[in-house]
Amino acid sequence: MRKFLLPGLLLTATLLASSCKRDTVDLPPISHPSGTPLDLAGPWYFPQMTIPANNPTTEEGVQLGRRLYYDPILSTNGPMAGRSCSSCHSQELGFTVPNTPANFLNVLPHVNLGWSSNFLWNGKYQGTLEDVMKFEVEEFFAVDVSVLQQDPTYPQLFQHALGSSEITQAAVGKALAQWFRSMISANSRFDQFRRYEISLTPSETNGMLLYLTEAGDCFHCHGMPLLTDNGFHNIGLDSVFTGHDQGRFLVTGNPADMGAFKAPTLRNIAQTGPYMHDGRFTTLEEVIEHYNSGVKHSASLDPIMTKPGKETGLNLTPQQKADLVAFLHTFTDPTFLTDTALASPF
Amino acid sequence: MLRHLLPTVLIALLVSGCKKDEADPPTPLPTPTPTLRVNHVVDGQPLVYDTLRYINEAGAFYSVTRVEYYLSELVLIGTGGTANDTLHGPWYVNAAGPTDFDLSRLRAGTYSGATMLLGLPPALNTTGALPNTLANINMAWPDPMGGGYHFIKFEGHFTTGGTSSGYAMHIGKNDFLPHCDLPQAFSITGSGGKLLLTFNLNEVFRTPNTYALAAGNYSMGNMGLMTQLKENCTNAFTIAYQP
Repeated sequence: MRKFLLPGLLLTATLLASSCKRDTVDLPPISHPSGTPLDLAGPWYFPQMTIPANNPTTEEGVQLGRRLYYDPILSTNGPMAGRSCSSCHSQELGFTVPNTPANFLNVLPHVNLGWSSNFLWNGKYQGTLEDVMKFEVEEFFAVDVSVLQQDPTYPQLFQHALGSSEITQAAVGKALAQWFRSMISANSRFDQFRRYEISLTPSETNGMLLYLTEAGDCFHCHGMPLLTDNGFHNIGLDSVFTGHDQGRFLVTGNPADMGAFKAPTLRNIAQTGPYMHDGRFTTLEEVIEHYNSGVKHSASLDPIMTKPGKETGLNLTPQQKADLVAFLHTFTDPTFLTDTALASPF
Repeated sequence: MLRHLLPTVLIALLVSGCKKDEADPPTPLPTPTPTLRVNHVVDGQPLVYDTLRYINEAGAFYSVTRVEYYLSELVLIGTGGTANDTLHGPWYVNAAGPTDFDLSRLRAGTYSGATMLLGLPPALNTTGALPNTLANINMAWPDPMGGGYHFIKFEGHFTTGGTSSGYAMHIGKNDFLPHCDLPQAFSITGSGGKLLLTFNLNEVFRTPNTYALAAGNYSMGNMGLMTQLKENCTNAFTIAYQP
């Protein structure tokens, strides 16, 4: 008995003594996924992308996210069973679809979201792509990870991409976030012009001057180069607001946000109709005509929309409107729309 | 024998283990990082967004929905043997977000006041001169309008004489750069502490020009309005020091 007592007491004493060392507690190292680091920098005139330290982008992570994006397995046993992200986000249409699904708002395109911090039309989700993926994975698709876990392929892909073959909803969200960051559009005619590689046509140039001056005043909400300020604006679509048309007010409860929606990016805008949160406009000409003559006043109308002499619109001439449409077409990025690296891996 | 020895050893270990820390020399308190803090008020009242509660010099009720701007070239004017001290910045300020900025240093001394730019010096007011942060690209002043950056975006809604509308007080271009005077004397007593700037938004509408929003609710591209705003902004800030 006594021969056990002595080591036991010494061990206890050592443990107690070590407990007094307040400053020597070792924290576990931050887990770092395996994989090949991937640099997602855009062109020189793009902002630097902020990437969370706990989800660095890797080749393997992007490829895993890409596979999940196109795979209906994501929705197995969930409310969207049989569908994948790509069901409502077609590459050739700028990763959106022309038909608004029942009970949903117009489908926003998936492009350059690595620079976004407000998600969905009303900004219900804010923060990083990981934050909005939490919603997509846990609520929208209600991903059943056991299905992925039992798949013959996915556990190994997760192992390679994120360092563990144990598949969790958070891990699915991380992989998808990496994929979304890789969906970069930066090679439109406008981009080529910005890089001094091409010239624009006279009509496109006139349209650009309208866009970038007070005559058209598009730049305040759709500034270069992302073509969105990521902010929320009431652009005068309505003067009475019900249901979804209340926009950001439904999130904040702030009357100043009534009728305000996230300014969508105009990248590939010619491919991503219909337009506005409810898809009320079918063509770009209709959109411009709204800004030109259809602005409705309300207490929350964005101050930018209240210029003297242009209270109901821009008063552009038919030629100016045509020039503006021509310039909007320069935002079409054929590379993005056809890049096989962004296409389905199946 | 062992029965008595073990508790003694145990206690000795415990006591010596814990006393070690007490014997360490006291850790000096870290020098607080000097900070530039910008407060936003309307005639002494803290700024509250989205409420039509403020009255400007011309008698209009107004609300505030956006206040974003740059500050730069803050010169602390030394007196009584203290040399001038220039803090270059620039600092991008969004009144809706954090408005504390770390400073590399503060120099102790007595100061008769300060001057600064509400905006950017000409060398930085060219397209692409600032890092391509999301904030900076959203402050861009388009090239066809002269390029560079907005010095300030100050927006909201107003009502006066039965007229209700929005307003957007935007200033840009070097000719309209407000040079602010902050004539409040102060002393900096250490290398840390806070340099406090207070922006009274009502001054934008007050002196020397009583600014009537109903007569000019949109300033960008309007040289006359930007001139009035430039002049009014020169005395919209005050300065103080807090140890």
